[in-house]
Amino acid sequence: MKSFLTVALIHLLYCAIGFLFLLPLWWALASSLRPLNDIFKYTSPFSWRALIPDRFTLDAYRNIFFEKGFGSAIFNSLFVAIATVLVGLAVNSLAGFAFAILRFPGRNALFGITVLTFLVPFEAISIPLYTVVRSLGWLDTYLALIVPGVANGIVIFLFRQFFAQVPRELVDAAKIDGASWLTIFLRIYLPLSKPVIVSAALLIFLFQWESFLWPLIATRSEGLRVIQVALAGFEQRYQTLWNELFAAASLAALIPLLILLPLQRFYVQGVTAGGFK
Amino acid sequence: MKSRSEALVAYWMLAPALLALGIFRIYPIAVTCWGSLCTESFVHAGKQIFVGLANYLDLFKDPIFWKSVWVTIKLNIVINPLQVCLALLLAVMANQRFRGIGFYRLLFFVPIGVSLPIACIVWRIMLDPNNGLIDSILALGKIPAQPFLINQDQALWCIVAIATWKGASFWMIFLWAGLQDVPREVQEAAKIDGATQIQRFLRITLPLIKRPLLFVLVTDTAVNFLLFVPMFLLTRGGPAYSTNVLMYEAYKSGFTYGEMGRALTIVMVLLALVMVAVVAQFSLFQREKS
Repeated sequence: MKSFLTVALIHLLYCAIGFLFLLPLWWALASSLRPLNDIFKYTSPFSWRALIPDRFTLDAYRNIFFEKGFGSAIFNSLFVAIATVLVGLAVNSLAGFAFAILRFPGRNALFGITVLTFLVPFEAISIPLYTVVRSLGWLDTYLALIVPGVANGIVIFLFRQFFAQVPRELVDAAKIDGASWLTIFLRIYLPLSKPVIVSAALLIFLFQWESFLWPLIATRSEGLRVIQVALAGFEQRYQTLWNELFAAASLAALIPLLILLPLQRFYVQGVTAGGFK
Repeated sequence: MKSRSEALVAYWMLAPALLALGIFRIYPIAVTCWGSLCTESFVHAGKQIFVGLANYLDLFKDPIFWKSVWVTIKLNIVINPLQVCLALLLAVMANQRFRGIGFYRLLFFVPIGVSLPIACIVWRIMLDPNNGLIDSILALGKIPAQPFLINQDQALWCIVAIATWKGASFWMIFLWAGLQDVPREVQEAAKIDGATQIQRFLRITLPLIKRPLLFVLVTDTAVNFLLFVPMFLLTRGGPAYSTNVLMYEAYKSGFTYGEMGRALTIVMVLLALVMVAVVAQFSLFQREKS
């Protein structure tokens, strides 16, 4: 029905936007695979060779792992993010279930406060949070990085909206069979909520993987450096080791992307199921 | 009896989440309020002395603070509508169905995986005035090299561009999810009635995704008022304070100069600004409904 020209124009538009999104990561990845001297060889004047390396080397990756200790930063970030996801899923889904299904005094007020907390971004409270965590004696520990990220208003909200849509008859039937609320939650509600679990897990994972200001002020020692802080420190210290900088940046971007992209469909489904209607 | 046990179960289930939110979100806000009324004692390190509104009065007399307020407001007036409009455009584009759309959707998702610190570092090298990629691409179109981040008229807008590169893609997800809930039948019916594509979008789709739209606008605004990473990594608030937003000024006060009272006072001002913006957005959406 549509003319060939319209279709071509549509693809051109999508390609242009896609190119803009891909360009920085592509360039970083291509540059990380070149010898250091080649990085700016094709940029001025610009040639397509700038985007496709002609001489491949993995030196940059070898150096960041074996000389610059980037492995431990990646481990720290993965450990912190995964721990937060696991604990966070348990804590937030339980709260979402209580808000959606159970009746108790103060429900609306407490839910309102919970929702309001995600209007206060982490950056705003990271300065006072420093004093709170200091008085708990957690500064410069994994606890300081993990625990404040566990409870998350937006994730509780997602779970609540999803659980509220599940037909109530399921609960009534289980109640007649004498099931406890915890059993109903674990056996009926949780297995139904796969898309929400995926999107909640990704939200928490990305939140931790990307956090920068909080780890910057909450930890001092090298051993606890997370990837974003390590990357920023690396940039300031070895400004001209472009290929290693690009290698580190590429890794830090590819790890979440490799997790995110295969789950892309579930991610969007989960947000829909969470009921932003 | 039965409902009492139900309430008890509910409180147990909520306890971990509410306790954590209380300690790590709500209590720090209280600390901010209190801390903005105090100053740290010179004699006893770490001891707080109540000084009333002195921090606020000092702050309001400081021209650097007012400059920061203006930069923060200027940034937000541009970045929030920009990000939400682009996110909506992307969501509409991602929601189309044609051969090859799956591939484009993957590309649209790329910036979500690239964290803001990484985006900043890579974009900084691309925007380098000496041999950066962007200047050499501009040279193809005979456009002279631009100073970008080291120029006080361009730095803030470069930061807007970098943050939008990342933000538009992230917020797209929520709007796309909203679009998927718009029933196709309604669209088809309007099409048969002869409504144009733009009419259908404005009259049918837009009202139906009002809730995700408001959610994205409000959350994005809260995030952008506290934007910190690009200023920290790219400009250090410069050149000539042109990117010295309130959050960066607060960070400097607290962690570079050790003036916690001043830092917390600035955060209070910021939270007040966010509240004003959010209330304005809510009332704007409410009015449109009636």
